[in-house]
Amino acid sequence: MFWHNFKFAFKTLIKNRELIFWTLAFPFILALLFNLAFARLHDYDVFEAFDIAIVNDESYQNAIGIKSAYSALSEGDEKIFNIKYASREDADKMLENEEIEGYVYIADGQIHVAVKTNGTNQTVLATVSEQISQSVVMVEDIVATDIQRSGGQEINIPEIAAKAMKIVSEAEPNVKDESRVMNIVSIEFFTLVAMACMQGAMISSEMMDRSLPNITNRGKRVSIAPTRKSVIVGSNLLAGYLLLFVSVTLLILFTRFVLGIEYGSNIALMLLVAVVGSLTSTMMGMFLSVFLKAKSGAKQVIVLVVTMVGCLFAGMFGGMKNYFDEALPFVNKISPVGLITDGFYSLYYYDDISRYVVNIVSLLVIAAIFFALSVRSLRRNRYDSV
Amino acid sequence: MIVSKAFWKIAIKNIGTIILYTIILLLFGSINMNTSTTTTQYEAKKPSIVVFNHDERKGVTDGFMTYLEKNTDIKTDYADDDRLKDALFYEDVALALDIPENYHQDIALGRNPEIRMRASAGYSAELAKVVVKRYLTIAQAYAATNLSEADLAAMIDKTLEKNVTIDIKSSVDTSKYSKPTRYFSFANYSILACVITIICLIMSAFNRVEIRKRNLISRTELKQMDRVLLKNCCIYAFGVWLLYIILGFVTIGSDVLWSAYGLLYTINSLVFTICATTIAYVLSKLVHSQSAISGVMNVVALGSSFLCGGFVPAEYLPDSVLAFAHILPSYYYIDANNKIMAIESFDWNTLWPIILNIAIVICFSFAFVALAAYISRKKQKIA
Repeated sequence: MFWHNFKFAFKTLIKNRELIFWTLAFPFILALLFNLAFARLHDYDVFEAFDIAIVNDESYQNAIGIKSAYSALSEGDEKIFNIKYASREDADKMLENEEIEGYVYIADGQIHVAVKTNGTNQTVLATVSEQISQSVVMVEDIVATDIQRSGGQEINIPEIAAKAMKIVSEAEPNVKDESRVMNIVSIEFFTLVAMACMQGAMISSEMMDRSLPNITNRGKRVSIAPTRKSVIVGSNLLAGYLLLFVSVTLLILFTRFVLGIEYGSNIALMLLVAVVGSLTSTMMGMFLSVFLKAKSGAKQVIVLVVTMVGCLFAGMFGGMKNYFDEALPFVNKISPVGLITDGFYSLYYYDDISRYVVNIVSLLVIAAIFFALSVRSLRRNRYDSV
Repeated sequence: MIVSKAFWKIAIKNIGTIILYTIILLLFGSINMNTSTTTTQYEAKKPSIVVFNHDERKGVTDGFMTYLEKNTDIKTDYADDDRLKDALFYEDVALALDIPENYHQDIALGRNPEIRMRASAGYSAELAKVVVKRYLTIAQAYAATNLSEADLAAMIDKTLEKNVTIDIKSSVDTSKYSKPTRYFSFANYSILACVITIICLIMSAFNRVEIRKRNLISRTELKQMDRVLLKNCCIYAFGVWLLYIILGFVTIGSDVLWSAYGLLYTINSLVFTICATTIAYVLSKLVHSQSAISGVMNVVALGSSFLCGGFVPAEYLPDSVLAFAHILPSYYYIDANNKIMAIESFDWNTLWPIILNIAIVICFSFAFVALAAYISRKKQKIA
């Protein structure tokens, strides 16, 4: 009887076009839109050499040290600037037309930087120009110190200057860079999968409503059938869960292998999030249906609000998860959307799985609470009037 | 009169939808209105960093810390490594730095002690690296000349005082117009959502077979009824636009919107609202199922907002996406907003591209009206 009811429950589910759109098609459409809109967002944030101009007049030609410093910064793989040499008028025009981020000119032996706006590239140009200007001062200081140390003995100025320039150009701090390059945009896709998981609450709520006599006419008919309530409820929920799990798994595989979103290397653990996340949302739908004697539209609105607020807190719409974690640290620890997102995030970013395990266990505990409360309410129900 | 009454009865019944999308506009529009970048005075950006100083604050270490305090925004309370890792991932912290024990002594002795750093993936992390390495490079260069610890710190400070002169060439502070630009660009979604949902819901109610048959045998002529419906659709859309303009004045400030720039934003959004009404009118001819309206609206509104730069600024979008977006009216509306923000002086050269964009949106509106008329005629013939 269980499998007979399961078969028909599944058939009616997949014939419900509206439900299929929101659970299957809509997350895929959003994933595609996210991918199109955010494709360059991460690349854009990675530092790239930018265009500047240098006023190539006599003053610049005479400032040999400054000239070679800018030239060195515009060559090689780690170059900072793409330099265009121009007259002052042309540089002004290029700046006006936003063809360059700024331009450099020498006046009275000093470096001058002209920019149109206040931004990160402009700060880099100003900082690097300052660095070059300071390098000149350093060479002068080192030469002066050496002359002072010579104590009136005969000295070879060009040799001292060459030595000073060598010291300045070879000075390299011993910095150990332990940075990990990660893609912040991934979080948008993690929240999207979490959102797709939570749509399952709509399915299970709809399936539960069909079994409850005080909600639907079908529930009245079903409740007087000579079949155990646990069989009807169990088969209905299993059908909803299976549909949800398949759609979430397809979404994960689509984002991972078609759109190329990184989830970490462990595919089994990645899919375990889908298994547990789908279970939690199915139990949440069951809980809502049992405890909320309202039309299915009202329940859908509640699921939608819980999901979308959860998505906002979990990092969708601009990756503000860390901000909310600081301001309201408990929310993402009890929100299923936050836990699912954090499950994917910990797989992607952390080397050990302890944080991942905490997320999975928390989801299971939430699912168990929803299940226990729903079963307690469903057992031995008697209606005086429906 | 009866038709109008029925129209507004359905509209008021669905007021929750209008409130929902208005809240979305206010919430996400406000998030979108970040601080701007353009001013008439140059001000260096300060990256946020975390410093773990294991050394005493003496000599070069003291100078380095003072330099970092001046040139970066030093964050504290990141002793928990997981918290720091999260902050680096979300780019709330650009760089974390570990100054080793005895750093000041080692530098004075001419050694090159190791400094550990962890940077985020963001642009400001590169800036933070430039700022940090500048000091360390100067320190390393002077350390090679066997100076005393006190002389070394003094030399570094003296060198760092050497600045370059920054000339800022922009005569107009356009930064204050980045907020209205982001607000009105995000409004692309809310206008489309509010206008399409409500108009399609109302029209689908009037297009239900039994209602339509009843209307056909009524005294009111079909053409007159269509005219009344269209008029009420326009009044409703105008109301939505007016609401968003008033909210714009509240959230952005009247000083910004009560200007020639504000007038341009207002005209541009009004023309787009008219276009959204014509889109809704076409969709109402095609989609009759009330349950399908929400899906169609989301695909149209979200799709055009994502592809045309409503949610993510157009400069971040791939060229192929922007090329495709040219077939959507939202692209011209959002592009006009961006062009209004960039105006430095009001003349024919700066206004012409904006006028052209608005004209294209008007052309789209006419095309949608013609399409709606074509669909209506075709359906009448079938009937």
